Amino acid sequence: MIARVAQRMSGWVGWVFFLDLFDGLSLTLSYMFSKTVTERYPDDEKWMPFPRYRGHHFLKSNAEGKINCVACELCARICPCRCITVVPHEDENGERHPRVFDIDLGRCLFCGLCEDACPADAIALGRHYEFCEYDNKALMVGRDALMAMPGKAGRGGEVVPARLSTEADVTVPITVGGEGADWWRNIRRR
Amino acid sequence: MESFLAIGLIIGKLAVVIAILFALPIPLTWIERKIAGHIQQRLGPMRVGWHGLLQPVADAIKLLVKEDHIPVEADRFLFTLAPIIALVPPFLVFVAIPIGDSITIFGTEITLYLADMNVGLLYILAVAGIEVYGVIFAGWASNSKYAVLGSLRTCAQMISYEIPMGFSVIGVVMLAHSMSLLDIVESQAGLWNVVTQPLGFFVFFVAGLAEAQRIPFDLPEAEGDLGAGYHTEYSGMRFSFFMISEYLIVVFLSALIVILFFGGWHGIPVIPLPPVVWFLLKLSFFIWVFMWLRFTFPRYRYDQLMSIGWKVLLPLSLANILISGVFMI
Repeated sequence: MIARVAQRMSGWVGWVFFLDLFDGLSLTLSYMFSKTVTERYPDDEKWMPFPRYRGHHFLKSNAEGKINCVACELCARICPCRCITVVPHEDENGERHPRVFDIDLGRCLFCGLCEDACPADAIALGRHYEFCEYDNKALMVGRDALMAMPGKAGRGGEVVPARLSTEADVTVPITVGGEGADWWRNIRRR
Repeated sequence: MESFLAIGLIIGKLAVVIAILFALPIPLTWIERKIAGHIQQRLGPMRVGWHGLLQPVADAIKLLVKEDHIPVEADRFLFTLAPIIALVPPFLVFVAIPIGDSITIFGTEITLYLADMNVGLLYILAVAGIEVYGVIFAGWASNSKYAVLGSLRTCAQMISYEIPMGFSVIGVVMLAHSMSLLDIVESQAGLWNVVTQPLGFFVFFVAGLAEAQRIPFDLPEAEGDLGAGYHTEYSGMRFSFFMISEYLIVVFLSALIVILFFGGWHGIPVIPLPPVVWFLLKLSFFIWVFMWLRFTFPRYRYDQLMSIGWKVLLPLSLANILISGVFMI
């Protein structure tokens, strides 16, 4: 009985003096003096994608530098937006390779189906993600350019200086089972 | 010669006050956005200047070069008049607000206030009430449903909250036996009023939040449900007049809280600082509290606003008068 009265009284006092609001105030105060989670992307730092990331396509080649692709055109067939054009070509040894391998990045939706469909482990979607262009003709990427593109990310999740290019400068050591960055590390949750 | 000097001093002080008041919103917007950012674990403006310091300048340039648009069906006279009516009262209020007692420079004693009125408090509350007209005119003249709704809410809110605000300062006036702000500050030389009048301070603070139309009482300009309330149709420089007025009201309320309840320029005796520095420290602390509150709370519903005003603050302020009266006897 007394406990209930006390509870009702404290509820009334809390309502009159806005006691629940002070709870919120203490939370925002602790946030105010905690570290920020902002990533200053184009200015200072940027983020290395994880291995699962689907960025710019690249064509793999074997140890001798010959292209893996056998120009079976399965990728072009499975592509939902018809953005891959392959023209096959048979060389003097009877090996099939693409003479033309064009990807229209302006149409690509980066679904990764070409990577799944490829029987020769030739095409994959890599870590490069900064390829905006002012001219959509520049988004047509040919075979040789695709072979020069960087591959899958290694561990991923690192924050690197933004002046580095994901295409050329950044090399992340490959570690199996890496954790990457914990983006919740600065956010306190109760 | 003497009177020339005195007049020159007054004009000089007036110019300084006006210049400071016009320049004040520039750092305040930056600080407010920084505080907002850090409370939400962001960084706030970072790109213009060092840590975004030049961001307000960029914003000012943007506002100045924007089209000054007047809606076709608007009442042109009231529409142009409203921002000025909203802007003038905060400036007028600062005539009566003292930031210190007096200092002596080159053998001349300079008082750190423009006017010591014997009804200073009454003057401030009355002049601050005029600001509502700007808001109401703005909403009415815009001929827009959002703006009218915003100004209607302003009407109701101002009427409801001016009463507890006025009652809550009566306790302070009773203690100081004077309505002059200088006397009120002098009466707190030993003990700050917040110790003897915690209830009065609480009511004044909450009612002040509502008078300044800050979150959680910013129903007149609720972005979510009214567009932007009374200044929905305003753009460019006219819009920035409303913003300047809003920031100045925050400064003025903080100053009033410091003067009425936190001892004005009287500091804690253990820490020796010049009185003006004490005043400015307390002032900036309360400005920060206003911003802190803004980025913590959601908005009250309209009926909640009314019930807080009439059912909580008004009885509390009356109880405060009663209690102080009993203790005075």
